[in-house]
Amino acid sequence: MATNDESKNVRKLQVKRFKPEENPEKHYLNQEKGLWAWMTTVDHKKIGLMYLGSITFFFFIAGVLALLLRTELLTPARSFMDADMYNQVFTLHGAIMIFFFLVPSVPTVLGNFILPLQLGAKDVAFPRLNLASYYIYVVGALFTLFAIFTGGIDTGWTFYTPYSSSAAGGNIMAMTFGIFILGFSSILTGVNFLVTIHKMRSPGITWNKLPLNLWGLYATSIIQILATPVLAITLLLLTMERMLSIGIFDPAIGGDPVLYQHFFWFYSHPAVYIMIVPGFGIISEVISTFSRKVIFGYWAIALSSLAIAFIGFLVWGHHMFTAGQSSLANMVFSFLTFLVGIPTGIKIFNWLATMYKGSIDLKTPMIYALVFLFLFTIGGFTGIMLGALAVDIHLHDTYYVVAHFHYVMMGGMVMAFLAGLHYWWPKMFGKMYSEFWAKITCAIIFIGFNMTFLPQFVMGSQGMPRRYFNYIDQFQSFHQFSTIGAYIMGVGFLIMAAYMIHSLVKGKPASSNPWGSRALEWQTSSPVPLHNFEHTPVIINGPYDYHKPMSEFQLGITASQHAHHADKPVDISTQEKEQA
Amino acid sequence: MSGHHISSAKFLWGVAISLFFLTFLTVAVTWIHIPEPWNVVVAITIAAIKATIVAAFFMNLWWDSKFNVMLFLMSILFFLLLVGITLLDTLYRVDPVPSF
Amino acid sequence: MSQPSSVEEKLDHLQHHFIDSDQQFEASKLGMWIFLVTEILFFGGLFAAYIVYRAWYPELYLLASEELDVFWGTVNTFVLIGSSLTVAMAIRSAQLNQIRGLIINLWITIGLALTFMVIKYFEYVEKFEKGILPGAHYSYEGIAHEKANIFFSIYYMMTGLHGIHVLIGIGLMIWLVFKAKKKVFHSGYYTPVEITGLYWHLVDVIWIFLFPLLYLID
Repeated sequence: MATNDESKNVRKLQVKRFKPEENPEKHYLNQEKGLWAWMTTVDHKKIGLMYLGSITFFFFIAGVLALLLRTELLTPARSFMDADMYNQVFTLHGAIMIFFFLVPSVPTVLGNFILPLQLGAKDVAFPRLNLASYYIYVVGALFTLFAIFTGGIDTGWTFYTPYSSSAAGGNIMAMTFGIFILGFSSILTGVNFLVTIHKMRSPGITWNKLPLNLWGLYATSIIQILATPVLAITLLLLTMERMLSIGIFDPAIGGDPVLYQHFFWFYSHPAVYIMIVPGFGIISEVISTFSRKVIFGYWAIALSSLAIAFIGFLVWGHHMFTAGQSSLANMVFSFLTFLVGIPTGIKIFNWLATMYKGSIDLKTPMIYALVFLFLFTIGGFTGIMLGALAVDIHLHDTYYVVAHFHYVMMGGMVMAFLAGLHYWWPKMFGKMYSEFWAKITCAIIFIGFNMTFLPQFVMGSQGMPRRYFNYIDQFQSFHQFSTIGAYIMGVGFLIMAAYMIHSLVKGKPASSNPWGSRALEWQTSSPVPLHNFEHTPVIINGPYDYHKPMSEFQLGITASQHAHHADKPVDISTQEKEQA
Repeated sequence: MSGHHISSAKFLWGVAISLFFLTFLTVAVTWIHIPEPWNVVVAITIAAIKATIVAAFFMNLWWDSKFNVMLFLMSILFFLLLVGITLLDTLYRVDPVPSF
Repeated sequence: MSQPSSVEEKLDHLQHHFIDSDQQFEASKLGMWIFLVTEILFFGGLFAAYIVYRAWYPELYLLASEELDVFWGTVNTFVLIGSSLTVAMAIRSAQLNQIRGLIINLWITIGLALTFMVIKYFEYVEKFEKGILPGAHYSYEGIAHEKANIFFSIYYMMTGLHGIHVLIGIGLMIWLVFKAKKKVFHSGYYTPVEITGLYWHLVDVIWIFLFPLLYLID
């Protein structure tokens, strides 16, 4: 098929400046009305909002469970839960947080909403699959809720055999089947993003002008499509283990429980990068925008995301140092684990270098980004400690590990998610939130978070094991301090819910580009029009070129010209630049 | 354009016949009892050749964009990582399956 | 929106967010390839379990594979490769606008796929009757190895999952036949045929590995 053959290498495009309309009458939120139109929408923006509602619901549920756990731990003996109940609650807290909040949150909410906008596309490549992935998520969630109400589970979120293959343990089949289904949702999102980034870029968006947020999502999608199927087969085998007693993992029938752990962590270690890598993308965007400065080390940040994605597949055995794997494997995994520190360090240094001599504007998203840098660095360093084989034998399965992954997951990923949510909130709803309350809340969450988890490092190093509902008296003051911190954090999130809802109802209207960003998603109206852009955008500058005038970032094709094959260089012939 | 390659019927038959032949071959070599571990090596090599033929000529990777080829190879690479690193453990354990 | 240069083309199939048929076709094909990557790793887990246990108990695999019938395994391999051929022919027919040829080739493929499943069914039944069942339900006495049940768990998981993929493929092909009868496909739009073909070939490739690994251990 001979399409634009006449353009060998360079295509000529007629462009002019399109200034986004401020506070348009018609936008994606009001152009299609009614519940049915929402439920059957294939619009990536609405699907993103539907995901936002769902993950907020699960974050709330799992957060309440966490507060229950902390309340139980106020006293060394039983406070109000017995041991079985406690086991169920921490299992659900972990499983829901990880599978229903952390894994989907950034890609499905912010990714779905922002990715096509940053590419200048009208939608993701497969909008119907996108909607399907949402409903698959819902079905998976229903299975999980069903499992909770029909016996619960108490194996821990890892579903290790033989706990999970023995008769006890509650309704594990419903739970694992729910997560098996959820995996498809994750895979479909990954497929969609990869294809969209490859095939739907606007003219001029070459790989070196791709926003770093998209590099993050790209790396994430790669992990999703490579790792999730292995989780799927693992959970399928586990389901079969319970249904037909196939005995591949069950030691009672001659299987190997450690093999289950290999399979499980082949997914679940890369999965922590599914959670954190898109967060890195958000942080890159936020730091550059609020430092008014071109990002330092663009390729270093972009490629280190891919490097993390790859190295993430080589280190899973560091979760199994005490599980009985061979000492050779222990050594290799311990060594490889240290490699993760390299690309992560590259990122941190590049972000710091971006801020250096920038004109830093401490708006709420930027404050969250700084909180991220602080907490994530602590989480990362303690991770190196745990990766060291000898130290890990001492610290394995103690509160040190609990504190470490909460610093990485909550201090890293959740803070990045909140940075992104506050950053793109005006674009999503066309409303501003109260900057004052947002900053106060950020401070409350920061204090509460550190109060909760810093003492756990100390407790862990002194030998407090995780997953116990009682403990010896010497740890009581640590536990109580931690519990109070958790309450403070809970209050913080309640205030956040309040000012966010207030913003939706009574917030001041947001301009199309409240932060003065150069990125493409800010060059359309807030809220976004139904089909994202009134014209096909054309890109000539990178998304972080703050030294170039805003007028060069709002170009669009005038005539209806052929516009894909973004890789080819574009020759821009600008008509008279339209003045404001 | 890539992806719009049209193979001739004769060519497709040729591909299928070579696959039939290799299937026959892989069965036939079991009759002469090659010693361990070479029997496995031979069987897997023939299977890999067959898979390559299917991927290249039935799935049109031969004419397709390089990226799709890379995807296919990448999936195999990551499968090998899964197997290889797991074997680092299972082959070198003191007690293969921990007894309970 | 804009017009591709092959103008007289029917464009009913073009979704609004794509610029032309080519972009849509390439996007769909790339999407399918990425999905196939996930399929390979999905089966990869089972192959990994196979390899780990084979490395532990090579003698078990020798003994147990004698229970599998090489003749019917070979027949099934021929059947599946034949069906791959007919799928490739179906795509060729679609590319050349020969809708009748497309439908005939799809029907032959469905027939071959069903043949495969029928043979598989008889293989399973023959084993069930001997008491060769997976895991804890295993009761056959003919194999002198304590882990024989594990081999057959792996066997049933691998061939069972492969069989489910064959069934899904049959369903997709029936759907294609209906679409083709409604004159949806033509030389400018045959994306579903192409990507179903890719899926079917992958199912074939997996069997190409399953056959020697399970049946041909001498």
